[in-house]
Amino acid sequence: MAQIEVRNLKYRYPDAKRLALDDVSCQIERGEFVGVIGRNGAGKSTFTQALLGLVPNFYHGAYGGSVTIDGQNVRESSVDELCRKVGLVFQNPFNQVTGSKLTVYEEIAFGLENFGVPPKEMRRRIDAAMELLDIAQYKDRAPFDLSGGQMQRMALAGIIVMEPEVIVMDEPTSQLDPQGSEDVFRAVDVLRAQGKTIVMVEHKIEKIAAYSDRVMLLDEGRLVAMDTPRAIFSRDDLAEHGVVAPTYTQICRQLGVRSADGLYPVTLEETRSLLGAGGRGGEVR
Amino acid sequence: MKSISLFEEKHSFLNGLSPETKLLYVVVAIAFPALVGGTVPQLAIMLLSIALLAGSKILTKSKPIIAVSGFVLLTVVIVQTFFRGGAYTELFRIGPLVARREGFDYSLGIVLNVFNIIFAFCVFVLATKPSDMMQSMVRRGISPRLGYVFVSLFQIIPQMTEHTSTITDAQRSRGMQTEGSLGTRVRAFLPLISPVIMSSFTDTRERSIALEVRGFNSHERKTFLDEFVPSSADRPVRIALLALLTLGVAFFVLRIVGVVSWPR
Repeated sequence: MAQIEVRNLKYRYPDAKRLALDDVSCQIERGEFVGVIGRNGAGKSTFTQALLGLVPNFYHGAYGGSVTIDGQNVRESSVDELCRKVGLVFQNPFNQVTGSKLTVYEEIAFGLENFGVPPKEMRRRIDAAMELLDIAQYKDRAPFDLSGGQMQRMALAGIIVMEPEVIVMDEPTSQLDPQGSEDVFRAVDVLRAQGKTIVMVEHKIEKIAAYSDRVMLLDEGRLVAMDTPRAIFSRDDLAEHGVVAPTYTQICRQLGVRSADGLYPVTLEETRSLLGAGGRGGEVR
Repeated sequence: MKSISLFEEKHSFLNGLSPETKLLYVVVAIAFPALVGGTVPQLAIMLLSIALLAGSKILTKSKPIIAVSGFVLLTVVIVQTFFRGGAYTELFRIGPLVARREGFDYSLGIVLNVFNIIFAFCVFVLATKPSDMMQSMVRRGISPRLGYVFVSLFQIIPQMTEHTSTITDAQRSRGMQTEGSLGTRVRAFLPLISPVIMSSFTDTRERSIALEVRGFNSHERKTFLDEFVPSSADRPVRIALLALLTLGVAFFVLRIVGVVSWPR
């Protein structure tokens, strides 16, 4: 059984005229990294919030279909119950700081304190998360004194320490510089290697192409397609859905270079390997 | 962005006392002089507060509080000295204004009283870590939500102030006049305040979800990363404070029945 099962999910925000999610169905396996892409207003953030039951439990509105995590229907569960299983990281790191803690170390401990985790265990988990996200050097700094990138990694650490099986991230790198984004993706890759299921909304297509196992393409609340990055970014109708393919894919499309299965490469490595194998000369820089 | 919390960890005598004991100190510092009467107890407790703050190396942190309240109190002294009604004894004269001894004495009483309260609160606020305060409130059965509101204000207010300043800069960069005459400022107010309010609503909603997904409403019994353990001095200090309060109440009763008196 898939870890996350979404069946005919429909949702409309209170006072909105159109559906934010319109008959979305999908399955996400344990340990999978699923990238969610689409233009603004496609329903990506709403989808992430539906995974944690915030839609409709927090936002209310009209809701149909079902979302289950390990067989547990999110609509029938409280956020308090679900957040032990599903962690959510938001786009804006500033709004994730609780404002009640004086240091980064204490800030990361917030969720653990709420769940009654013993202090010794808290410290073990916090130290491991800070190490993973390379923020141990900021542990005594005030949370609001951090830069956007550092603050986002602190927010991610605050979720990781709660050891959820699923980590849902809504544009976690939107306010980060390239190095900060890469750091977050590497950390997420480690989490995936540890068996965590990752669902990430992201506009940085190159990163999604490189790290995701599968990509969900949403448009106007509908699930257009869910497939491997190569299959998604090889689609001819991407532009119609407001998505631009990775640069390597665009180059290969222009050159008419595709692999034996008819799909275009999406990463530098794939492109290099394909062009090298095809004898088209030279390396791609 | 800095927290407006004035707390600073100095590992001092005051830091070692529990928040409840420091709160009891505030109560005693205010109640004892009121019960006993006269300026001597007031002065003595104020000096004790100053000595405690100095001993904990946080006296300088009280400067901004004293500066702000000092300015307000100065106006009280001026008004009372020159304009207090009733019969008066002339101290000195500045043109048509007569400085009155009765008004001056009265204002000094107010100043002493206010400074005593301020220094007592400084003992509590400057030496109590907000999270220790929250821990103490939760242990006493107060809702963590209330504790959170109390503690988070110290950091969220400066964040909102900085956010407002960003919006002001953004509006100014688009040619809006935000400084100048009163009329200009009033005209600038609306275009500034609406994005500030709207973004505050959005931020608050997102922050409340962020708290929710970190188990803020969990029904588990909360634990704390740093369990606050009061120093060995906490209990004797608390007993001494309670004894002083009892003494004050006893003196008050005896004074009411006319057994003792205190020179005012």
